[in-house]
Amino acid sequence: MNHQSSLPTAHEASARDAFIAGFKQCVVLTPSYIPFGLVCGVAAVQAGLGELGAIALAAFAFAGSSQAVLTQFIASGAPLAIAILSGLVVNLRMAVYSAAISQRISNATRRERVLWAAFLVDQTFLFDEQRHARGLFKAHPLAFFLGCSAILWPTWIATNTAGAFLGAKLPPTWQLEFTIPLSFIAMVVPLLKSSGQTGAAIAGGAAGALLFALPLKLGLIAACFIGAMVGLVIDALLAMRAVRGGKS
Amino acid sequence: MTSQFWGTPEGWIAIAGLAIGTFLIRYSFIGFFAGKRLPPKFERALQLAVPAIFAAIVVPLVVMNQSHVDLNARWPHMIAALVTGLVAWWRGGMMLPIVAGMSTLYLIEFVLR
Repeated sequence: MNHQSSLPTAHEASARDAFIAGFKQCVVLTPSYIPFGLVCGVAAVQAGLGELGAIALAAFAFAGSSQAVLTQFIASGAPLAIAILSGLVVNLRMAVYSAAISQRISNATRRERVLWAAFLVDQTFLFDEQRHARGLFKAHPLAFFLGCSAILWPTWIATNTAGAFLGAKLPPTWQLEFTIPLSFIAMVVPLLKSSGQTGAAIAGGAAGALLFALPLKLGLIAACFIGAMVGLVIDALLAMRAVRGGKS
Repeated sequence: MTSQFWGTPEGWIAIAGLAIGTFLIRYSFIGFFAGKRLPPKFERALQLAVPAIFAAIVVPLVVMNQSHVDLNARWPHMIAALVTGLVAWWRGGMMLPIVAGMSTLYLIEFVLR
């Protein structure tokens, strides 16, 4: 196998090559957008955002889990500020992505930085991590990133649009709204890479159910805080045990 | 076009709030604090907050029926959620775990019950 013919080296790869490579790599992700995009479109319309609002939400927020959280809260009658805040808490992880990307684009202009930020989602971040780890397209990282975004962003809008228009026609016995918690489970399970994260999830889930009756859906914010604290405590306990184990 | 198509003013405030707020989070370190790093403890707390908030959303949606824990009505949903979790752990991805969970739910509700 001559890997140099299939993967251009950093010297010969043009911005166009990088864009096309990003596009091709992300095409395989599009089927995974279908169920969640449909669900988010349905949920937005059921929350009263309207078909146009559902499409705008997908296009401008471009962050499925926070879209589902926002619409879930609006549908359950929570105040707007709490609904928005909860959606943003879900997106706080993107600050971590932003910090990681920032380290490797020190020469980027303001306009390039806006583009990096506009399309920064879990999938585009993960592909840029892989690209960076392999040392590919070092001269044109943004072109690779935009190639990835050029397939994922329109696909996301299209699947949400389909959900917005088809959703009302689906019979309620299908319980399509139950795909929202299921999609969250599918998203969280791969994140449980350490005891700290698993502990945070268990504590957060328990607190979420116990504090459910708190007004203004504040139980969710509290559960998030409790879960993160439990996770930090587990981290600290494991670190202490590791130190003691090292000494004995 | 009906008013349903255009949505409500409150809905548009929510859309704008989430979109603008999310962009500010994305732009934070790329733009505002370019070159700066998060304190490691804080970065870890953010990492831990994500599974916590998802679990806090999921558990009530699975076990509750009209804001009450109702295991009698919701045990099929609990099994479906468990199946989705196992498939996600085993195979990863989005489509397969959801399809497995919903198939389990339909099997219990429409065939076995």
